[in-house]
Amino acid sequence: MIPLLAKVGVSNQSGFGFRIWIPLFLVWLLLLPIAVLLLPVILVVWLVGQLNPFRALAVGWEILSSLRRTHVEVENHNTSVLIHIV
Amino acid sequence: MNENRRQILEMLSAGQISADEAERLIAALEKGQPASTPADGSESRPKTNAKYLRVLVDSEENGKDHGPVKVNVRVPMQLLRAGVKLAGLIPAQARDHVNDAFHKHGMQFDLNQIKPENLEELIEQLNDLTVDVDAADVDRNGSKVKVKVFCE
Repeated sequence: MIPLLAKVGVSNQSGFGFRIWIPLFLVWLLLLPIAVLLLPVILVVWLVGQLNPFRALAVGWEILSSLRRTHVEVENHNTSVLIHIV
Repeated sequence: MNENRRQILEMLSAGQISADEAERLIAALEKGQPASTPADGSESRPKTNAKYLRVLVDSEENGKDHGPVKVNVRVPMQLLRAGVKLAGLIPAQARDHVNDAFHKHGMQFDLNQIKPENLEELIEQLNDLTVDVDAADVDRNGSKVKVKVFCE
């Protein structure tokens, strides 16, 4: 299953900071039209290149799905960044 | 108290990991250890099924423009598997170019050798991986760096 939510947080020493939940399911919905637009490109890749587009799509989907529970947190003396994919 | 459990508790007390993470690590530790160890130690430890690769960096730089740096990364193993499959999609010609570049930079690495069946073996080996680097750079502002790479 592809990730549906992501938590992104940024804060710095000057007091600026935010921590938001991003509803990725809405992002995927917004990206769907772009995927449709990309279909001709995929067709060209299939015809011209050596790449099997279906296999590439399957791997892309797998990568997307396996992003769940990824957690990245970096903090230095004045800035901290957090990305957590649910 | 065994060494691994002590390390987890030390990381918790140093604020490197949260209480939830410590609980998960200890649970993973208990899962990976037999309930009772035979006296001769002949029984091998059951293989844990690691789900994540963890990288923890804790740097305490004491310079004027520096401060402590903390990195806490958790990468699902499934992402590694998918990444290897992605490498398998690279056309043969492109793979040769990449291999040439690796060799030019002194890395004896062959992308053609990365196959899903090899990956499973690699991940099995990663289950037992723990890289623990503890370095102190006394000459340069007395910085201390701790790096931990392990699977959970």
